[in-house]
Amino acid sequence: MTCSSVDLKAYFLGDIAPAEKGGVEDHVRACQGCREELDRLRVTQTALLSLEEEEIPQRIAFVSDKVFEPRWWQTIWRSGPAMGFASAAMLAAAILAHAYVRPVAGPVQATVDTAQIEQRVEREVNARLEATVAKAVRESEAKQSQQFAQVMVASEKRFEAKRQDDLAVAQQAARYFEQQRARLEMAANDSVRPGQ
Amino acid sequence: MIFREVEDRDLIAKARRGHVDAYNVLVSRWEKRVFNYLLRLVGHREDALDLSQDVFLKAYQNLRKLEDPAKFPGWLFRIAHNEAYSLLRKNRPEGELAVEPKSGEATSRMFPIELSLAVQSALGLLSDDQREAVLLKVYQGFKFEEMAEILACPVSTVKSRLYTALDLLKQTLAPVNMGGAE
Repeated sequence: MTCSSVDLKAYFLGDIAPAEKGGVEDHVRACQGCREELDRLRVTQTALLSLEEEEIPQRIAFVSDKVFEPRWWQTIWRSGPAMGFASAAMLAAAILAHAYVRPVAGPVQATVDTAQIEQRVEREVNARLEATVAKAVRESEAKQSQQFAQVMVASEKRFEAKRQDDLAVAQQAARYFEQQRARLEMAANDSVRPGQ
Repeated sequence: MIFREVEDRDLIAKARRGHVDAYNVLVSRWEKRVFNYLLRLVGHREDALDLSQDVFLKAYQNLRKLEDPAKFPGWLFRIAHNEAYSLLRKNRPEGELAVEPKSGEATSRMFPIELSLAVQSALGLLSDDQREAVLLKVYQGFKFEEMAEILACPVSTVKSRLYTALDLLKQTLAPVNMGGAE
């Protein structure tokens, strides 16, 4: 190692790679010129460090200013625990929402054909609607038939009762006319026998 | 130093959440170093104080941009460097020397009590870049990589400036030390 290849100042300033440090020390032990250079650097450093730091004439301080204060969402955003809690809450909400809105069955397809799904849904809705309407019509017709039968039975009963009543009145009227005819015949017979 | 860094990190975290008091504590820890760095760089006490206030105000406003709180010292001195050079560029037309070299000033025999004045004078003989390299390395103790980040230049440039400055200071201050030792 030669003098020109040695980073003597970096070594002196304590800012040299550990791998190079041993080589520099070996060279300095063997090189009188570099040892003298190190002495001169030490003298210079001692002189430089004799310059004491001055006290700052006026302390620097800041007062709270709303302009520079973070907003509430910035405070939350920069807060690790708060962000962690918010993330956990959002994840829980997402899981719950997914549980409520997910489809009942069927494998998840990689690609979704919305038009095909709409057609399937429309067909399914129409089929269910037609079935429901047909069932309602059948039920209504059955109910009407039952009501008609009940009305017919009631009418027949009323008609029979009416007929029985009319028949009773007719029989009564027939008996009355028979009695009247009998009385007229008796009266006629009495008028035919004047000499008696 | 480790405890100091941990506490600084805690103060930075609190200051980011809007705790001005925590930031004031942080300022109290660094204001003297920043002020002296600026003072030796710009050479005027009032300018250095004004710049120090600007530095800490900008640091507070941009504290959330600091990704790694452990790099706060280098980041703070990067702001100080930018502020100082803005002032130097404004006050001094390009090409004009910062301080006129006063050859032979330090070669005269001086009393030890005047050593600090001689050092100030010797530092004044350096260019701004060279002087800043000495300030960051000798007085502030930054590593070459940290200096490269502060000065926004390669490590090789940092070393070049610093080594040239040390050679000049070595020549300028050697007679002073020799005289003081006699």
